[in-house]
Amino acid sequence: MNKILSYICICVIMVFASCTIDEQIDPNAPSINSVAENATLQELNLLVNGIESSMRNGVDVLANATGSIARELYIFDADPRNTLDLLGKEGAQLDNNTFYLTAAYNTRYRVVKTANILLDALDNTSSVSAAEDAGYRGFAKTIQALMLSQVLDYLGTNGLRFDVADPENLGPFLSEADGRQAILNLLDEALGDLNGSSFAFGLSSGFAGFDTPSTFATFNRAIAARVAARAGDYSAAISHISSSFFDINGDFSNGPKHVFSLSSGDLQNPAFKQGGQNGDQWIVHNRFIENGVSGDARLSKFRQRLDPTSQDDLNGTHETALYATNLSPIDIVRNEELMFILAESRMNTGDPQGAVEVLNIIRNNHGIGDYMGGTGMDDLINEWLFQKSYSFWGEGQLMFDLRKYGQLNDAFLPIDRPGDLIHTQFPIPLSENQ
Amino acid sequence: MKKQFTRLGLVAIAMCFVQTFLFSQSTISGTILDTADEPVIGASIIVVGTTVGTVTDIDGTYTLNLPEGAEQVSISYIGYATQILNVTDGNLSRIVLEDDFADLEEVVVTGLASSVKRSNLANAVASISSKELTGVTSQQTVDGALYGKLTGVNIVQSNGAPGGGIALRLRGVSSLSGNNQPLWIVDGIYISNSEIPSGSRFASGANSGSEEGASNRIADLNPEDIESIEVLKGASAAAIYGTRANAGVVIITTKKGKAGDTKVSIDQDVGFNSILKRVGRFQYDEASVREAFDDDEAARFAAAQAAGQVIDLEDEIYGENGFIRDTRLKITGGNDKTTFYVGGSLRNEDGIILNTGFARNSLRLNLNHKLNDKLSIGVNSNYINSNAQRSFTGNENEGGLSYGYTLAFSRDWNNFFPDENGVYPLNPTYSGNPIFVRDNAVNDEENNRFLNSASLDWKIFQKDNQVLRFNFNSGLDYFVNQTFVYVPETHQAQVGGDNGFIGVGRNVFNNFNYQAILVHDYYTDNNINFTTQGGISYLDFDRDLVLNRTTQLIPGQTNLSQGGTQETAQRIENEEEFGVILQEEVNYDDKIIATVGGRLDKSSLNGDPNQFFFFPKASLAVNLANFDSGLKGKLNQLKLRVAYGETGSSASFGSLFTGLSSINIGGNAGFVVNPNQGNANLEPERSRELEFGVDVGFLDNRVGLEASYYIRNVNNLLYERSLPTSSGFSNEIRNDLDLRNRGLELGLRLAPIANDRINWNSNINFWFNRSNVTRLGVEDGTDDANDIPSFVPPGVAFGLGLGTFFIEEGAPITGLWNSVEGVPTQTGDTEADFQVGFYNEINFLSNWNFNFLVHWKQGGDVLNLTRLLTDIGGNTPQDVIDFVAENSEGDDAKIRGFIEDASYVRLREVGLNYKIPVGGKFLERVRLGLSARNLITITDYTSYDPETSTKGGSGLSTGIEVTPFPSSKQIYFSLGLDF
Repeated sequence: MNKILSYICICVIMVFASCTIDEQIDPNAPSINSVAENATLQELNLLVNGIESSMRNGVDVLANATGSIARELYIFDADPRNTLDLLGKEGAQLDNNTFYLTAAYNTRYRVVKTANILLDALDNTSSVSAAEDAGYRGFAKTIQALMLSQVLDYLGTNGLRFDVADPENLGPFLSEADGRQAILNLLDEALGDLNGSSFAFGLSSGFAGFDTPSTFATFNRAIAARVAARAGDYSAAISHISSSFFDINGDFSNGPKHVFSLSSGDLQNPAFKQGGQNGDQWIVHNRFIENGVSGDARLSKFRQRLDPTSQDDLNGTHETALYATNLSPIDIVRNEELMFILAESRMNTGDPQGAVEVLNIIRNNHGIGDYMGGTGMDDLINEWLFQKSYSFWGEGQLMFDLRKYGQLNDAFLPIDRPGDLIHTQFPIPLSENQ
Repeated sequence: MKKQFTRLGLVAIAMCFVQTFLFSQSTISGTILDTADEPVIGASIIVVGTTVGTVTDIDGTYTLNLPEGAEQVSISYIGYATQILNVTDGNLSRIVLEDDFADLEEVVVTGLASSVKRSNLANAVASISSKELTGVTSQQTVDGALYGKLTGVNIVQSNGAPGGGIALRLRGVSSLSGNNQPLWIVDGIYISNSEIPSGSRFASGANSGSEEGASNRIADLNPEDIESIEVLKGASAAAIYGTRANAGVVIITTKKGKAGDTKVSIDQDVGFNSILKRVGRFQYDEASVREAFDDDEAARFAAAQAAGQVIDLEDEIYGENGFIRDTRLKITGGNDKTTFYVGGSLRNEDGIILNTGFARNSLRLNLNHKLNDKLSIGVNSNYINSNAQRSFTGNENEGGLSYGYTLAFSRDWNNFFPDENGVYPLNPTYSGNPIFVRDNAVNDEENNRFLNSASLDWKIFQKDNQVLRFNFNSGLDYFVNQTFVYVPETHQAQVGGDNGFIGVGRNVFNNFNYQAILVHDYYTDNNINFTTQGGISYLDFDRDLVLNRTTQLIPGQTNLSQGGTQETAQRIENEEEFGVILQEEVNYDDKIIATVGGRLDKSSLNGDPNQFFFFPKASLAVNLANFDSGLKGKLNQLKLRVAYGETGSSASFGSLFTGLSSINIGGNAGFVVNPNQGNANLEPERSRELEFGVDVGFLDNRVGLEASYYIRNVNNLLYERSLPTSSGFSNEIRNDLDLRNRGLELGLRLAPIANDRINWNSNINFWFNRSNVTRLGVEDGTDDANDIPSFVPPGVAFGLGLGTFFIEEGAPITGLWNSVEGVPTQTGDTEADFQVGFYNEINFLSNWNFNFLVHWKQGGDVLNLTRLLTDIGGNTPQDVIDFVAENSEGDDAKIRGFIEDASYVRLREVGLNYKIPVGGKFLERVRLGLSARNLITITDYTSYDPETSTKGGSGLSTGIEVTPFPSSKQIYFSLGLDF
């Protein structure tokens, strides 16, 4: 018996010694640590492309969730919460753990994180020159600021978690005002990096004309103008506009864009809806049809349906025609928005005539002639909001504009179903543990 | 060492001759018969206290040379009560074995290379014989056939499509991170039970592969090939399987050939699938259409009604009677050296939706051969070809494909049928036309699978008081799963976007494992037997999953290359594990049986792949009735037992890594952080289970009770937790969660009538399980900075707004929670209060057999989101609206929002069989049967089936319903011929 046991022991010991399992390497994707040390130029540029590409994720949600709340449109699709929660049906509140929040929020911060990986990689590589290094940084910080400004708009007075460089030690939520200031500071920092830098990377055709440090800086300033205007700092906004790509006589659509393609791994325009499609459609809120000024070229954004449609006790006769095809680009920021910022800044800094001048350029561009209304502050605010609502229908701006001017409520917006609520901001996501 | 073994072998071979001559004193011989005077083939006759023995031959006869001092022999065979006779008795020439009602002699495979008599078990090991498995009715899948037959087992059918989609959960939730499914072992092969997604989500917009309603690969096994199934439900029984056994182990043994005349059986079943329950549609008239919608819609309704074109879409889509045919051939035979079993099966089943179905073609050969007295080998091989047409059901997002979703939003008065040019009208109220999808879209899978096992048993060494055996077993499960999804470019949701979709998957699975075990049995003079075993186990699983997708299709083409945009995705997974096993069992005269043992395991899935983790076990069974012959007279069995064991589970593949995902913009490749944050230091989660129980048998074992109570603590549970997404990551994997499952399992076995005319056996099983999260982060550490706040596990449901699972310390892990005034509040629980299985087998008039199985599940909630969708689409039928309104009031309301009580009583199986004994030289017997599955269900649940899971079988995800493939009931007629 002892002999047998010793045989068993010998066998077991031999086998112990012989079988070693190899250390594991992910066979499916590069490790996040692969760029942490000595990243190559190619790896840095892959991160740049990743940042530009992933910015596009969730842009449709930013537009249609805020668009539903601002009564620009209804989302008629398979998810009931689009007509239930977003419109506050029977008093429904916005949920802090549902896609209309998380899809917008998570995608923004994923870009911020990838930009932080790029910044970390730059700290630990010698494969680029100092000027190139600064170029990457200027790009990364500008995009971070844009992403964070979108989050702050979404959450409103709930504030913004600005410092997210260390996932283990996330910074605090800043107040709305502090958040805006932090974003503006980041934009200024990025501008400082861009000055005198060089780009060792290329961008997609969406950034044609904005793909050198100096032209990219004009995009940086356009974002700064938008953020300053949201903060109510109109003199700063005017100043930023002057350093941006703004051109009062220029093409309204000029500006960097999200582009789409059918290439493998690429995206199609998620806000494009096929004409006549049912079950996945943006239905124009009837007030845009009823209030439309005849001759307004912007009415072409609304396509009349063969049959009116209804879902969840909501009705509509028109659907979105905002984008012509599934490859139409989406503007990130365009000359037209800078015109609105200029008009807004002038009317808020005691220059109503200057504001009307800009509004008339906008009106005439869309074929509805000069503004004939009053030039009191309230009149101008209403006119500005009205024009902006048509110029930026379905682009995720109106909710924030209405909110700023105290009009995101049932005194100014229609209630389509008794009991519906008008929400003013999104809650902090559950996962933030606030 | 090699030399030593050779010498040992020679000695052993020599000894078996020596033994015969030197020690033989006298010889006994005789015949062993059953109560029907049929010879019992293969019964064993062993001299008590030694390893000397023999087995009966084809005629039931035996001859045994008795060693010196032999006093008693023990005669045993599975299914019969063991007898112990004195060698001096005169009745050894004709021994009649009595039926063993309690199956106490049944041998249960519990160790890796050893087995234990049921009467000596220290655990409640559930086992199912082929009779219980397939004896009542024709079975679709092996896992589906277990419904209601075992205590402590919760089975959920996530998808009603033919071909399965079944989740088996033993003694509650054991894992959150990955598979809650037990380890499946078929003849020593660690087989894959994966649900393999087809990629239809890229066309339907479903959130994940788990929502695609894939079948699970147990569906490939032919239930008819199975001899027995043993279910090791908890860690105390399964510890010897170590790091793979956290969710229990299901051990399947397939049929073996029997020496004797070659026997051939042919079975033919034909039957029908029909929908289990119709939910119905709201019955509109013109006025109610006007009220619900508007005047225009009312006009359209009136026009359709006038033209007789108002249809019942539910009936149109789910109303098929699917034809089922199942043909099986069984050939067994052999001689005293070689036996074989051949099992062939062709099953073909059509679903209740047109163009859905499942077919399985299986061929098995099990071959056993004795090279000599010392050495025997076995080879089992099984080839399976299975294919399924799953079509499109379940959750989606604007894909216009899922029938239930489409039906919820479609109106019965709109026209969906093609015109004379074959053009299908657009659905005016949803993104897809269900008739178009049914007729034109494809979601198919095909599997070609080889299951092979080889075993070797070598009796290295034998003396009259000890024997040393070596057992080697290797298993291979290799299969290629191919999926094909086709959505034509003319499908409504595709137009203007992807313009058609083709997805072709090629998924190769290769599971290899082997084990080598030495077993030493040692018998002492004072009736204490020692069984020592030690050995190793190794497994290597490789998976290579490739999905090719093409969009922007060339009209009418179904070839991957015929489209504008191609994408490829590949996922490679490899798992390698190695374990060392040691176990010692001490048996004192079948009175006290004690076992201690353990397993050391290492795995490539752990942070340190070469670190061993130890999983101990210990158990004790005391057969009180065997101590006292007076007691034995009254009680056939009185056993107290207690068992403790630990098992583990490593994180699912990929959990160690944090990666960068590739992405593209305008042709520029890029990468972006993957939102799943890995953890490079993971260790396996660990179950610690204490089980105790009592088994009682009396009245000649015609009444038996088996009661078990278990406490299972899962420590350091691996789980995904949502991170603050501002970090850029969505999920991380952690293991600072403890979970406790406790439960009671009662099995009452009755043989109320046993005589020549009627033989009635009845099993009543009762069981429940309760879970509790005992630690999340820091126990009771709500103020501790290191504590983890309560959270919604990612990907299990659809957010607190609609209802989801929510992990909170002190709460059950199966709870359904809603946001009530902004505060997460538990509003339901998917765990049943209790379940009861009631199985009856009645043999009467010698050739008739009647069986039925009733399954009662009390309590357990389901989140019925199908109703949410039909509410919005205006298609919830009036009786459901009324029922919901009536039952939503009060604190103990049956319905709370969309959370509904899902209690049910179901006649799972019922069958009547008749045997015609032809007794001819050629044809021995004809068998006729009429049977049904799921024939009757009594439930208040308002949707199709209270058994449902829209997220497939993994993790927590049961009890969430989103427009599933409706379950079906089946009725069969069977004809069997035995030659």
